[in-house]
Amino acid sequence: MMAADIGVGVGDAVRRDWRSRVGPVHHVRGRPGAEAASDDADAALLALVAQGDSGALTRLYEAHASRLFGYLLRLAGDRMTAEEILQDTMLAVWRSAGSYTGGSRVTTWLYGVARRQAYNRLRTTPPPVAAEPVDLPDHAPGPDELALAAAGGTPVAVAIGQLPAHHREVIGLVFVAGLPLADVAEILDIPVGTVKSRLHHARAALVQLLASQGVPE
Amino acid sequence: MRELLAEYAAGTLDPARRSQVEAHLATCADCRADLAGWLRLAAAAGPPADPPPASELVYRVMVRSALAEPTPARSPGRFSLALVLAEARLLRIPVLVASALVLALTVALAATQTAAPDGWSGDILALVAPVVAAIGISGVYGPQRDPAFEVVAATPTAARLILLVRIALVFGYDLALVMAASGVVTAVGADAAGVPALIVAWLGPMALLSALCLLLTVWVGPDIAIGAVLTLWALRVLAGNVLADVTGLVKFLHVVWSTSPATGSATAVLVLAAVVLAGRGEPIRRSRATHLP
Repeated sequence: MMAADIGVGVGDAVRRDWRSRVGPVHHVRGRPGAEAASDDADAALLALVAQGDSGALTRLYEAHASRLFGYLLRLAGDRMTAEEILQDTMLAVWRSAGSYTGGSRVTTWLYGVARRQAYNRLRTTPPPVAAEPVDLPDHAPGPDELALAAAGGTPVAVAIGQLPAHHREVIGLVFVAGLPLADVAEILDIPVGTVKSRLHHARAALVQLLASQGVPE
Repeated sequence: MRELLAEYAAGTLDPARRSQVEAHLATCADCRADLAGWLRLAAAAGPPADPPPASELVYRVMVRSALAEPTPARSPGRFSLALVLAEARLLRIPVLVASALVLALTVALAATQTAAPDGWSGDILALVAPVVAAIGISGVYGPQRDPAFEVVAATPTAARLILLVRIALVFGYDLALVMAASGVVTAVGADAAGVPALIVAWLGPMALLSALCLLLTVWVGPDIAIGAVLTLWALRVLAGNVLADVTGLVKFLHVVWSTSPATGSATAVLVLAAVVLAGRGEPIRRSRATHLP
């Protein structure tokens, strides 16, 4: 059962072979020196953006786009909205780069801008029509699931998409954007301890959701 | 150790912590199981989808930035200053000059009474100042007195905020004038009680009468407001002479037209009511919203 797999229950395969599963983890923040260097580079780019250098905006975008977009995709739920928010975010960066004071890392500032833009847009977007009940009696994959499966989505990914926004957000920041918990705490403006507990709650909710749907392996 | 597993799965731990976790994982089956869950979650959440190409996105951002109206970056301080200056330009010079002239005349009149032993010359200022201030206040609101009424109504700035700024400007101006007048009256020796006593004599009545005039102006318009205020104040003036025998009325007026916490509170309530009322549609008894025929 997949639900059990995400929870603390463990299959024999995992017990035997955890190293092979740990293997592909990318330790992107492995080198503190490199991180500081990229922060400085970001700050320099942002200073150029503030002076109206669109090339610097392009380079800043290229440095952060894929992870930022991944976060927005998780938060917004669909690609079109996420692209709109990404555009809003870069427009806001272009306009307000001068207001960056260096009080925080450029990365956290950028995600903070993106988060504000996301909430501005998602607040004005009407919530999806509650046409179908949450618990479908029929477990056959609907059009959404089929579309996601075609796009490489797994049942777990589908279930993540059904979590409440604050759960999707913290999952997006930690696992998709790959930000350290301290940065996540700063972006969400909550203590690190709250980020941790929110992450655990998100996982528990996911396990419960998968179990309730009886998702097959 | 379990605390770190989510970060370990996300790949965001520093090398020291990472090897610490790895050492622990080799010996702890529970944590391995827990980690497997996190890894599963991480794998399902990621990897990041490919974002739109930079050239396309930056181009769109530039187009939007060029087409959109520039959003004025307004700091609260600068905005307040600009608002006060803009409203100051709408004050009508004749009213300001007339106020100053009337008070100058009052001071001159008081100065001629130097010889009076009972300090009557200070009272004359206390009789004139409230009327001057109240009539000044009657011009701050409404289409009859404000030529910019419609233009102002079309601006995004709240009508109540504009009203407050105008009250502050007009009343502040009158306050400064009467302060100066009190100083002059005392300096020429026309009033023996001293400046503080003189201020107490006019401050409360001036504020209360102005607040009353403000509320009536917002409610029923400036003409009726001025009429009502002058009538009320005439009663106060007559209480010293013609009506001096009606002791009940004299006592009552003495309490109402004084500088005390009670009259201060009443003033605040009246101003609040006027400001609240100013934000609500059209005043009553007004056939049209414009002053044009």
